Amino acid sequence: MSDTKGDKTVFRSLGLGGFYGGGAEGMVDVKDGKILRVRPFRFDYKYDRESIRTWKFEKNGKTLEPTWKSMPSPFSLAYKKRVYSPNRIKYPLIRVDWDPNGERNPQNRGKSKYRRISWDDVTTIIANEITRIHGKYGVNAILMQGDGHGECKTINTPHGQPGILLDHMGGFTLQVRNADSWEGWYWGAKHVWGQGVQGMYWPAHNIVKDSTEHSEMVLFWGCDPETTPWGFTGQFTSSLMYYWKDIGIKQVYICPDLNYGAAIHADKWIPVLPNTDAALQLAIAYIWITEGLYDKEYVETHVVGFDKFSDYVLGKVDGVVHTPEWASGKCGVPEWTIKALAREFARKVTSIAHYFGGGYIRGPWSHEPARLEICLLGMQGLGKPGVHQHQLSYFGMPRMEGLTGTSFWNPEIMERLALPVLSSVANWQESALPKTLVHKALANKSTEPLKFMGTGAIEGSVASQFKEHSFPLVTEPETRIRMMWTDTPCRTTCWNGGNETEEALRSPEVECILAQHPWLENDCLFADIILPANTHMEVEDIVTNIRQGGQFADVMLCHKAVEPVGESKSDFEIVLEVAKKLGYGEQVSEGATTEEIQKKVFEYMNLDKLTTWEEFSEKGYYLYSAAKDWESDPAGFSRFAENPEKSPLGTPSRKLEFYSERLAKHFPDDKERPPSPQWIEKSDMHDERLSSVRTKDYPLLLMSNHGRWRVHSQCDDITWTREAPTCKITGFDGYKYEPLWLHTSEAAKRGIKHGDVIKVFNERGIVLVGAYVTERLMPGVAYIDHGARIDPIIPGKVDRGGAINTISPDGITSENCVGQATSGYLVQVGKVLPEEWAEWRSENPAAFERTYDSAAGLRFDAWVINDREV
Amino acid sequence: MKAFIVDLSICNGCYCCQIGCKDEHVANDWTPYAKPQPDTGQFWIKVQETIRGSVPKVKMAYTPNMCLHCDDAKCMAQCKSGAIYRRPDGLIVIDPQKCTGCKLCPDTCPNGMIYFNEDLNISQKCTGCAHLIDDNWDVPRCVDSCPTGALKFGEESDFAEQIAKAEPLKANSCKGRVYYLNAPKDFVAGTIYDPVEKEVVIGAVCTLKDKAGDQTLTVETDNFGDFWFNDLPGEKREYSLTIEKSGKTQVIDTIDATNAVNLGDIPMKLV
Repeated sequence: MSDTKGDKTVFRSLGLGGFYGGGAEGMVDVKDGKILRVRPFRFDYKYDRESIRTWKFEKNGKTLEPTWKSMPSPFSLAYKKRVYSPNRIKYPLIRVDWDPNGERNPQNRGKSKYRRISWDDVTTIIANEITRIHGKYGVNAILMQGDGHGECKTINTPHGQPGILLDHMGGFTLQVRNADSWEGWYWGAKHVWGQGVQGMYWPAHNIVKDSTEHSEMVLFWGCDPETTPWGFTGQFTSSLMYYWKDIGIKQVYICPDLNYGAAIHADKWIPVLPNTDAALQLAIAYIWITEGLYDKEYVETHVVGFDKFSDYVLGKVDGVVHTPEWASGKCGVPEWTIKALAREFARKVTSIAHYFGGGYIRGPWSHEPARLEICLLGMQGLGKPGVHQHQLSYFGMPRMEGLTGTSFWNPEIMERLALPVLSSVANWQESALPKTLVHKALANKSTEPLKFMGTGAIEGSVASQFKEHSFPLVTEPETRIRMMWTDTPCRTTCWNGGNETEEALRSPEVECILAQHPWLENDCLFADIILPANTHMEVEDIVTNIRQGGQFADVMLCHKAVEPVGESKSDFEIVLEVAKKLGYGEQVSEGATTEEIQKKVFEYMNLDKLTTWEEFSEKGYYLYSAAKDWESDPAGFSRFAENPEKSPLGTPSRKLEFYSERLAKHFPDDKERPPSPQWIEKSDMHDERLSSVRTKDYPLLLMSNHGRWRVHSQCDDITWTREAPTCKITGFDGYKYEPLWLHTSEAAKRGIKHGDVIKVFNERGIVLVGAYVTERLMPGVAYIDHGARIDPIIPGKVDRGGAINTISPDGITSENCVGQATSGYLVQVGKVLPEEWAEWRSENPAAFERTYDSAAGLRFDAWVINDREV
Repeated sequence: MKAFIVDLSICNGCYCCQIGCKDEHVANDWTPYAKPQPDTGQFWIKVQETIRGSVPKVKMAYTPNMCLHCDDAKCMAQCKSGAIYRRPDGLIVIDPQKCTGCKLCPDTCPNGMIYFNEDLNISQKCTGCAHLIDDNWDVPRCVDSCPTGALKFGEESDFAEQIAKAEPLKANSCKGRVYYLNAPKDFVAGTIYDPVEKEVVIGAVCTLKDKAGDQTLTVETDNFGDFWFNDLPGEKREYSLTIEKSGKTQVIDTIDATNAVNLGDIPMKLV
């Protein structure tokens, strides 16, 4: 018999949302210092099932209860491949033609290779650069990009660690993360129902139970419950959807693609053209108003501005009557289906479901469909039993006993833990740049400062949207970004204007780009110095799996699984090494040991009231019980629905604002986000509708959702997921291309066959992709996941990696909203001509000579000279 | 005797079985049960995707295919070196130390579930994670990785109820240790609308008649004007469809339902 158990078993959150944990718990078996396997967590590993009180949903004699096993996603189970990826950065690197004392050759960023350098030498160079930049240009000449998703860690949390050091040294310019997966709610919904949680429906307690019991239909509007939750909690929503089907809740999917949820759960799929949902919503409102199919009493008592909204719908504002016939021409849904949907929505108790992401909420003017959705829900009695907006299971799962709400950006906790995460949720520096405008700032040679309304900080208040900011600060008009310290960057592939960003990163104005990352990918390829960070498997930590909607909540000790790969260090240790060179070691570390911090987190969670440190460390995790009285928690807006005077909303009127006086006051001339939601055809910022003259050359609407096989840009190198037919398509040249979905008829028109290497393009550039010809997409649309690793053939122009955001609009959501608009834009798709290949090959032969590994894709050694070690 | 139960009605297509298998067997040496699986190219359990219908009446089906551990195992019968053997619990294993690399068994397997490893010069396939079962793990890795319970593993006697409902995936499929439930059937579907009123037609009586036989099926259009004839047999059939509403009748005479068919939006004038 073999020894199958290994030498030890450690615990991890296998989610990739970051911020201290989420879910998708896992067990990692380790043998001979290597990861043997990664498997689902058994919640009863150290607990008797009888000792834990669990929740239960019941309807029609059918029940749903937690299974005692977690449900990680495939890339979580394959995480061993990430740790040992051929793309891991194994030691510090410096660009071969970047000389801090001589020529810096910024024009070669994205093209030149790197050479190995020692930790000692590289930290000396970095310390000297920081000192030089501070002295010559001031502290705000250093931009820190340190935000966004990543592995779940607390002590060694990825992203934002450099901010601790730079803050101690007097400050820096902060890249402020935008509401990158829920823009419309942030910029739109807040003006209808108030602040919410980052703009989303809140309070949302207990809405999963409430919809289970009362909803007759759920509209999955631009929602894929079989994709976007994967990186956060794993696959609990899948079981919930099967359960909802069992108890007879109708599941209607409204989206351009037959997404992975629709493919197996939909009772009805209504394909709608990308970013035209506002037209469909207005037509639904038209039917309700003209046929009296809405909750007039609720609207009377819970809504302000209904008359103005109604006037617009009925054509009294601009002469356009927003009928189903009108909408059908915009959104591609047959007139009869629009009417049927409107009436069914009114007839049945209906909720709407989302889980971040998608084209629906990330297109140009995404605040409009967001606001219209809430108006529709408002017309059907939002907050009444079964009428909710779901961020599906992220909010609204049963409350846990003794689980105190913990925000780790709470200033009362140690800075070392709070500050890195603060950079993902708040603007905490005087000098700040919205992430969506960073490329504009880097390339800004004009004397005019960049002006913007709000910074887009995800925890920002509604009022923060009305404050004008500028970069540089008015007090220091000469400041430009001269150095970037970027932490696990993927701005080129995950944000707006990727190609413009690539060009900006090559700006001579920026003298030093320092990146830290576990994998050599995306913006790292434009860095001058690259430091190797390690993965969560290589550090000792503690995580709090208390958020985002899993079956259980727990806090777990994450003992180190394996030794660091190569010379990698944790993101925190990297910053500490630099800090020591600058004399800030003690301030940055706060003198705390790892075990001391683990104990502090135990205390922050108030676990001392529920267990003892000794028991916790012996079991290795604490598993919460469901609260005794969770079933009596009021669901969502139910209190507001029952009594709006007693339980008002946070809007100025304390009601749902179908017309926002506040927007009218602050932005009287805003044609893109008027006080009441509208259909926007075109603006100075965006010209991405089928009515555009651009359709002559770019007739297709491109939609992109978050990836099925990635979490944004994470996990693009897993050899095992890359074998799935919707993950990559192997081209004639052995290169694994990102699939671009095309309807059978659109492919036929262009002579494209499934599996062909083709190009998707517009004025902003060309992306090479593999043709995925399918009935899972409506005609007139090109669909692709965002976040593939860039592989620039011509940086800023042609990408082979499938990084679709390189050709996304470089503009923002709308003039006064610094969100991203990275879905719902015009493209064309076609065959790649032989002369194009020849031209690219002659222009940049190095791009074709780089080592490539069909199984894993891009490789570390492709970019490093004299590296034969794999 | 061990058995696998695969409930296709709750397979969500996540590929965790395929990935979990690789996590267990790639780069891990479980001799004498199995030598390491190559990093890519072998799928001891392989998810197969089928898309049925056309926009907007489209369904997907996922089927995890694996070694069936056949009762009448052709691979065992033809193996000259006695490397392929059946364990007392029914699982069939290729002994990696006895396999001589003759390459016959991959072609013999009617399901294509035996792979040849050129580097190790041996044939390889699913072992049912016998190395784990023998070390007191409750299930193989594919089953452990399945989030929905679509894959189950245990004593055949405990699954009597499911096995009674199981059906072979393909007509000539061997009987073995893997039982499939709820295989998706073909459908005929469509939407009926009134082209004058621009309204869907609700409550139209749709009758589907099998032209070869005398079977008729009847459904009414729902509030979206949709009709769905689900659970049609997956063999070559010709049907005719009769639609009746408000005294009007419309017939679509020839429907080739060899595969799932979406008849699209069907105009029907009611006035």
